[in-house]
Amino acid sequence: MAATLAYYPGCSLKSSSKFYEASIQKIFGRYGITLKEIEDWSCCGASAAHTVDERLGHALAARNLALAEREECDLFAPCSACYNRAKVTNEMIRSDAVLHAQMNRAIEPLQTSAAIEVKNIIEVLDDYVGAEVIAKDRKYDLSSLKVVPYYGCVLTRMMRVKPYDDKENPESMDRLLFAAGLEVLRWPFKMECCGASKTLTNKEMTRRLSDRIMDMAITLGADAIVTPCPLCQMNLDLLPALGRSKESLPVLFLSEVFELALYGKMLGAGSHMISAEKMLAKVKEA
Amino acid sequence: MNDLVNGFGFLKEMEQKTGENIGACYQCYRCTNGCPALPEMDFSPHRLIRYVILGQREKALTSKMIWSCLQCTTCSIRCPNDIDIALVIDTLRKIAVKEGKAKDLDTWTFDRYFLDSVKKHGRLYEMETILRYKLEKKDFFGDTKMGMSMMLKGRMGLLPHNIKDRQGMKALFEKARGE
Repeated sequence: MAATLAYYPGCSLKSSSKFYEASIQKIFGRYGITLKEIEDWSCCGASAAHTVDERLGHALAARNLALAEREECDLFAPCSACYNRAKVTNEMIRSDAVLHAQMNRAIEPLQTSAAIEVKNIIEVLDDYVGAEVIAKDRKYDLSSLKVVPYYGCVLTRMMRVKPYDDKENPESMDRLLFAAGLEVLRWPFKMECCGASKTLTNKEMTRRLSDRIMDMAITLGADAIVTPCPLCQMNLDLLPALGRSKESLPVLFLSEVFELALYGKMLGAGSHMISAEKMLAKVKEA
Repeated sequence: MNDLVNGFGFLKEMEQKTGENIGACYQCYRCTNGCPALPEMDFSPHRLIRYVILGQREKALTSKMIWSCLQCTTCSIRCPNDIDIALVIDTLRKIAVKEGKAKDLDTWTFDRYFLDSVKKHGRLYEMETILRYKLEKKDFFGDTKMGMSMMLKGRMGLLPHNIKDRQGMKALFEKARGE
């Protein structure tokens, strides 16, 4: 199904995870989804803004929502932190007229009516492509690849806003990976925190949390960890640089799995800190 | 003085600031059982909530645990009484900083530099933010290996990302924080 979406890349997809953006553009183009990058978008404030000032966090998200509304289509935010902030603010200003008015004053001359929906990459693939097309269109055999789906903390953990999938045991990405032809392993760390908010302030803590996630994936016999979140990807991929000497599995973006199913290779293989070579050798011609 | 005597003043203050029904806590420990930051904490999340209810204001505000929290919100979504514990912690941080009682300012410092960068450029300028933080901490080589491997893979840029409407961004910060 052809679709056009307003696109909010967020800071990560323009710096540390440029290859995630390239990967998304490649597979979305193949599935007929057009992305219109929001003009002059700004940082959503991620975990920093609301910690320092709740209203500032909402204002930063509201500015981007207002810019996205001009495109008159739903908003796609691939980064889980950006997605969470945009969705929470969007729904909170819908139900809180005082907050709505405050935000519109803060972002003047821009105005937001909170009329559009905010979607993550899993929802976009679900809503505009669907498991059936994904299964039918795949060109490579990924059945020898065992993966663990790693959703990360913030994709569905929302307190006062209804998330798109279960808060404790989401399954939407499992279904997409299954449709792409991979073996999806059950594991208890779908939403375990990688410690991204402390990478610089408490490296040891982040290392301990990310290590546990990597160890669990290895114990279960996975070939790779798959995530939609650039912060989770970065943290796990940094493990050897943080001093992990044990074996580490490659950490793929969800879109990279689709690149493998459609083209048998990934554009960003060279940007991974943990080599994906061993895993790539298991991709077969269909 | 203990708030059992003066009428739950601290509990009222926190319930009003967070909008949460903190008094509903019945100490089931679910928040503590799921907390990934527990090994870093001086006391556990269920105990923090108890301190709020009992009016132990100083203990809560001067704790290290409010700064060890990762804001992953596992505790909040698991609370059978629907208390947003991560929000209680987030709110305690703001009060602690305001009253000069914060025990660990690293997170606060980093978040402030992060926001300074966004205010100035519109988007996060990673290099500037990290260097400012490292200078403040006088830690010049701690993360060199991490930084170098990121740069080699093209995952750490050297240049800022400026948006066009930087005036509007500055105004947004002032209006949102001043109101």
